[in-house]
Amino acid sequence: MLELFVYLLCGSILVSGILAVRLASTLAAAVSGGLASLFAAVCYVMLGAPDVAMTEASIGSGLSVLIFLYAIRRTTEKAP
Amino acid sequence: MAEQILMAAAILIFLGVAFSVLRLILGRTVIDRVAAVDTLTVVSISLIALYAHVAGRSIYLDVALVYGVLSFLAVLAIARYLEQGL
Repeated sequence: MLELFVYLLCGSILVSGILAVRLASTLAAAVSGGLASLFAAVCYVMLGAPDVAMTEASIGSGLSVLIFLYAIRRTTEKAP
Repeated sequence: MAEQILMAAAILIFLGVAFSVLRLILGRTVIDRVAAVDTLTVVSISLIALYAHVAGRSIYLDVALVYGVLSFLAVLAIARYLEQGL
């Protein structure tokens, strides 16, 4: 059962990464990139590294999306 | 009895992750994708809590706690972005 969850999480990381590259909207791409980081954090917990998962959840999934959106807002002229 | 409850919880979490990822792939608007991400955050917290019980390690609950405290940040940033505020 646990292996099934790890496979599902790894497949979701793959799907999120492909979507982050392929999506046309920059905002949706940033959201998908944050989601890949979210799945990676859960995967780290299942692999037995809770401290790495805590750092990944706080920085990768929270702060990086915030910085991405700030950069997108500052570098585009018109509203999305 | 407890085994069946844990199995049912695992199946529900599995279905939640699968359908939310499906919504993320199919999503027509950005709002649909943001809602899917928010749902996935909650489902991930419950998955970590379930795994903490299955593995018998209470240290994993700390990860779920930190995640629950910080998970609103991304959705809040996206909402501010959509309202032209960020």
